[in-house]
Amino acid sequence: MAGLFLLMLILFMADMLTGSTQMAAPDVLKALFGSGPAGDEIIVMQFRLPKALTAILAGAAMSVSGLLMQTLFRNPLAGPDVMGVSSGAGLGVALTLLTLTPLFTLAEGSILSGWGVILAAWAGAGAVMIIIMAVSVRMRDIMTVLIVGMLLASAISAVVSLMQYFSNEVMLRTYVIWTMGNLGNISYPQIRALALATAAGLAIAFTMVKPLNAILMGETFSRTVGVRMQRTRIVLLASASILAGSVTAFCGPLAFIGVAVPHIARLLFGTSDHRILMPATALAGAVILLLSDIISALPGGGHIIPVNTVTSLIGIPVVLWIILGKTGLGRRF
Amino acid sequence: MSKGGIIAETRGLEIGYRRKRVFTVMKNLSLQARRGELVALIGRNGTGKSTLLRTLVGLQPALAGEVMLDGRSLHDTGSSQLPRIVSFVSTEPVAVRNIRVRDVVSLGRFPYTNWIGAQTAADSMAVTAALEATGISGLEERSIDSISDGEKQRTLIARSLAQDTGLLVMDEPTAFLDLPSRYGIVSLLRRLTREKGKCVIYSTHDLDTAINEADRIWLMTGDGVSEGAPEDLMLTGSLARAFESPLLSFSVNDGTFSFVRGRQNTIALEGRGKAAKLTTRALARCGYTIDPDAPSLISICEKGPVTEWKVTDGTGERYYGSLYDLVTGLQDIDQ
Repeated sequence: MAGLFLLMLILFMADMLTGSTQMAAPDVLKALFGSGPAGDEIIVMQFRLPKALTAILAGAAMSVSGLLMQTLFRNPLAGPDVMGVSSGAGLGVALTLLTLTPLFTLAEGSILSGWGVILAAWAGAGAVMIIIMAVSVRMRDIMTVLIVGMLLASAISAVVSLMQYFSNEVMLRTYVIWTMGNLGNISYPQIRALALATAAGLAIAFTMVKPLNAILMGETFSRTVGVRMQRTRIVLLASASILAGSVTAFCGPLAFIGVAVPHIARLLFGTSDHRILMPATALAGAVILLLSDIISALPGGGHIIPVNTVTSLIGIPVVLWIILGKTGLGRRF
Repeated sequence: MSKGGIIAETRGLEIGYRRKRVFTVMKNLSLQARRGELVALIGRNGTGKSTLLRTLVGLQPALAGEVMLDGRSLHDTGSSQLPRIVSFVSTEPVAVRNIRVRDVVSLGRFPYTNWIGAQTAADSMAVTAALEATGISGLEERSIDSISDGEKQRTLIARSLAQDTGLLVMDEPTAFLDLPSRYGIVSLLRRLTREKGKCVIYSTHDLDTAINEADRIWLMTGDGVSEGAPEDLMLTGSLARAFESPLLSFSVNDGTFSFVRGRQNTIALEGRGKAAKLTTRALARCGYTIDPDAPSLISICEKGPVTEWKVTDGTGERYYGSLYDLVTGLQDIDQ
């Protein structure tokens, strides 16, 4: 665990060194402590530091959200993006971006700074989460629930397409860039909001480690050892929605982080005990998103690969490994 | 055995499901179970054994009547109190890989530990005691997916034991187990009632062990539940009635069921001991009953370790070296 934390710090520094403009390490450090040239300082303080901080917050939040969903639905393929929760959050964002923006005639992107967009994303994520929960209570089958999630995501994207059709070019561009996943372009007020929401979501999640361990053993088991399922479900759904919704609001629908990272943490620590698994997942999520961000800046020369491309390339092999693994879908915890 | 106090009781209980309309599975159930008692719930598939057990532990509401646990109505027992009175082992399969046997058993301490599940010395002593009582101390560090089905069942029973309740309810704890593991589990349950004074109520399809080991049987049929010592139910004939079919007949003498054979031939048998017993059994399977006056005679000749069967009838004498050869030979002649 300490090793993972250290790795996160190292990658945090490494992430500060990478970006669309080349900067030497000493210059970055100088800028960070306010003793470099003004130009460097703007790059580091206004772009790289927020970007690295966002990577940590978003990575931890998405991964823990995925962990909560996997245990709650007892489904190794559950995750905010796979089950349409990110799409739900996206719909909330799209509604604010594509409809409210013209009403308030605000400049491109500025509405994103407010809590309005976060609340819209929470509502969207929560709505999808409730639908998925309702389905999974009736349908025990893992594949059924996944398919419902995917259909839901498709339905939502159809609605969003319709909204795009009626929106103007500037709003459309803002929205499309948002869907690619973006850790940069986030202002400090936005980071503060993201940090608060993430902290709240994680805090709620951490209070649930004991019932989460029981839920792993099944619903009947949990109820007979004294887990109040109704209450626990609501709290877990709220926490997962807050975490995934907030990140999606600011960074776009980050692909595959939520579903893949909990498995990486299980593999690293060889346990399903949430007392260890939850902090491990949070740290691993931060590490992997930092790593993805570093990789996305690798081409250099001012080119940046969308971070979603990188997270997909990391996440998809993990998902494939889960599906094709010899122990099968039902026993991957 | 001195009689313990009543720990579980149903009064005019009606069990079933409330969906869009009410589905009653069974009505007017008045049953009892005492401390220190092993109660086997038996009945054919679909009679509602699981429904009764689930209602008993509060997993589904009673449609009418009352469940009394430890002298208190289940209805008035708070959801934080209930896990300290009754524990339940369901048929839910364990779908977790990365969890140690000891961690599973530790979950039995759930009602007693703080918000993060930290164990006190008393908690870990209870866990260790449960592991020992169920005979899986050596496995505590193993992962749940690396042990056998019988050991998994023991782990779940240990969890139930660690929960430290006077009443342990189990839904088919011996299903899917091989014969020695089934006996192992039932004798473990019996030991818990004797040594720890627990009341164990378990449902099973394994009549043999239930009749031989249980103190009390709850026999579920379409008409209701009859209860009593296994022998009571044999005496009244309700056990036979519940399970007999055109293919099965119940023998009161040894408390076992056997197939009803079709066409019966008679044959005489000379011989003693184990060989004679097994010969009778093999003959019975092939539709022969023993009759000293029958025209054909089988004589068993035991020469040291070698056993031979001689068949004498109207056509002469034939010798067979094994029971398999004997019965196939007899069937060939009859055809």
